[in-house]
Amino acid sequence: MMMMMNGEATEEAELFLNCTDMSVLERQRAHLNYHHHPGFFSNSSTVNGGEIDGFLASAGLDLPGIYGDTTVYSDARLSVSPGNVTTESGNFKKRKFDCVDTETKVCNEKKKMMINREVAVDEEEEEKSKITEQSSKSIMKMKNKTKKEQNSFSNDSSKVTKDSLRTDYIHVRARRGQATDSHSIAERARREKISERMKFLQDLVPGCDKITGKAGMLDEIINYVQSLQRQVEFLSMKLATVSPRLDFNIDDIFAKEVVSAPMTNLPNTVMPPHMMVNSGYPHDMVNSGYVHFNPMQQVVTSSDPLSCFNNGQSATMWDSDVQNLYSSLGV
Amino acid sequence: MERQTINKNKRVFSAEPTKLSPSEVFTRKYTSHLVPALKKLNMDKNSPQINQLTVKHEVDMALALSAQEFAWSRFLLEKLSSSNNPTTTISSSSNGTRIPERSCKEDEDGEIEEKLRELQKLLPGGEEMNVEEMLIEIGNYIKCLELQTSALKSIVQDTT
Repeated sequence: MMMMMNGEATEEAELFLNCTDMSVLERQRAHLNYHHHPGFFSNSSTVNGGEIDGFLASAGLDLPGIYGDTTVYSDARLSVSPGNVTTESGNFKKRKFDCVDTETKVCNEKKKMMINREVAVDEEEEEKSKITEQSSKSIMKMKNKTKKEQNSFSNDSSKVTKDSLRTDYIHVRARRGQATDSHSIAERARREKISERMKFLQDLVPGCDKITGKAGMLDEIINYVQSLQRQVEFLSMKLATVSPRLDFNIDDIFAKEVVSAPMTNLPNTVMPPHMMVNSGYPHDMVNSGYVHFNPMQQVVTSSDPLSCFNNGQSATMWDSDVQNLYSSLGV
Repeated sequence: MERQTINKNKRVFSAEPTKLSPSEVFTRKYTSHLVPALKKLNMDKNSPQINQLTVKHEVDMALALSAQEFAWSRFLLEKLSSSNNPTTTISSSSNGTRIPERSCKEDEDGEIEEKLRELQKLLPGGEEMNVEEMLIEIGNYIKCLELQTSALKSIVQDTT
């Protein structure tokens, strides 16, 4: 089959067309071969390699080309840059359109899906800006579950004229045994998106990975946010009581907060920029300029923020001016 | 003269700018907003005790100013600057109780919607966003809250 996909003589395609014993699917496949664009196929495996395999396995059909097209179609539209998307989907749609002409009769159910899908597209049009790759993957899963892959051709092609100019929208397929009206589809797409977002939040909130189910996770998230807000309130209260006798030595604050704050991948640099603040340098300069300072690595090892400057490594980088500055701070 | 010194000092620093993680950028912004503000508070009122609400106001203000790339910070900023009397809206939800289980609700989706609305209330400006947007913003908000608490902790620790 794959061999055929890669552009064999069109005579074979013709033969397929003429054969009455062929199923709808095989005939469509033949048409695909007829209008084969090598570039598209070669892309399909790379864009969506793993999922194509899984997809095919579940479908139980040996139709890599066709289903490759389908899967790539949605992915291409959703995750690839606009330039690529247009060409690929353009090719794809052209092929599908040609398929419609010679398609054999479809069952009523399929036709209904077609109509509903057209309606759904308009609704989903507004959501296209929020589409992410994750959403496309969830839709891929949805496709894996359905057994109505044959519909894809008829449905897609009917949208060609409408959507040929649109470059990205969700191509949602209804699951087997579920409602196919446009509202449900849109609703389902929305829920999929929410689930994706919640998975991300699950990583963010500690202790959430053991909880399954949206409701429980939402509970955890709400409680976590509340507890964080309470913590902030408590700390600011403490700060209010403590602050009058503060010296607000920014050096120390930076050093300590740098130790305690969750930070990663900090390169080994020396000079803390905060020194400038205390010396009366303009505030905004301190903020903007010295992003290349990061006393983190050295400070971590000791509680004394000034110890990093005793490091042999750091001393060599210092100008005498800087050292004077530092001493002026009363170190 | 000062500028010369500044430039000179600039040269001391490493040639290539190090990439700061967003957490770090935020923390630095936050402390650099908050600490001078607190200092100023200190200096302005010498005798009277620093009002707790004022401090909270500054704390929240610093948060909003340090996270301006996020939508919720704009809402927070509006809220803070519009109210003369620093609001305790953030603390209003801190009643110490966990969200009760809504076992009576048959419709699971309804329960989830309810919880999403609760979450929206927690986020500044959450009610004006749609749910997907809100979930994205909540992630940022949580991260910034965490950084804020650690920054506050270190400030408090430093001064005690």
